[in-house]
Amino acid sequence: MIDLEDDRFGDGALARSLRNAAPHRFADGFVERVAARLRAQHSRVPSFDEVLQRQFLRIIPLAAAASLILGLYSWWGGRAISSSLIDAALRLPAVTIANAYTTDELFVMLGGSD
Amino acid sequence: MNDIPTDEELVARARLGDERAFALLVERYEPAVAATVIGMLGPGDDADDVGQETFIRFHRAIHDFRGDASLKTYLVHIAMNLSLNALKRRKRSLLRFVRGEDDDHPLEVPETRPGPDARVESLETRARVRRAVMQLPEHHRAVIVLRMFNGCSTRETAELLGVPEGTVLSRLSRAMKELEKKLS
Repeated sequence: MIDLEDDRFGDGALARSLRNAAPHRFADGFVERVAARLRAQHSRVPSFDEVLQRQFLRIIPLAAAASLILGLYSWWGGRAISSSLIDAALRLPAVTIANAYTTDELFVMLGGSD
Repeated sequence: MNDIPTDEELVARARLGDERAFALLVERYEPAVAATVIGMLGPGDDADDVGQETFIRFHRAIHDFRGDASLKTYLVHIAMNLSLNALKRRKRSLLRFVRGEDDDHPLEVPETRPGPDARVESLETRARVRRAVMQLPEHHRAVIVLRMFNGCSTRETAELLGVPEGTVLSRLSRAMKELEKKLS
């Protein structure tokens, strides 16, 4: 079985050389370069695409919630005249051979006739 | 009394827009990020750019940082991913001109510039060791960089690279043998 905490590589001369050879710093002024890049990013005016993308991401949850509410409302009102859940959510009346040749259903839906 | 602010304190202050606090974090973790990035890419502008990008990404995600992992592990993770991406880009651009190269080996080994940390061991020895590490295949080099340069445990190395611990140990064993051969 492999000993996963095996540290036989940690103590030899090669391991010591490797530890000593580890780079510890970037070129001088690294912190200042990072700070300058951050400041440049903050002062940058966002492009039209970025603004559009941000607005779109904000609108998505509202649009999804509105669609869900409208779908539920339609399903609740149309469940008597529709044959399936999708039809009810879209308020589509059940289609049969008989009502395909008559306009009565349409008048009922539009509230024009009793 | 201990006046050195903890990482949590600095992160909290940086979240509120304290630039000085963020600069202190950069200063504190520059060695870990430098060991990873320079270890993987060699010294130069490319490495410097990836090092900066590591901290820029951290700054962008600072509000999401929950402290589940230590800040060092978090930064080393970003640095390693960005370094591997930079190596891919480097290979792609070089392979446009050079055909038939082994994908797993660096196409060019940059000369190592001595850093300001050159005190304990001779510059020449360090340069030789770094060059030898740069000649290792990418996945072996990543293990050496994390395990030896950064002092990560086998488990941390496995998590950072997304491989089993056994794989880390076998890669480490092969990489060490190869380095021994190169440096003997």
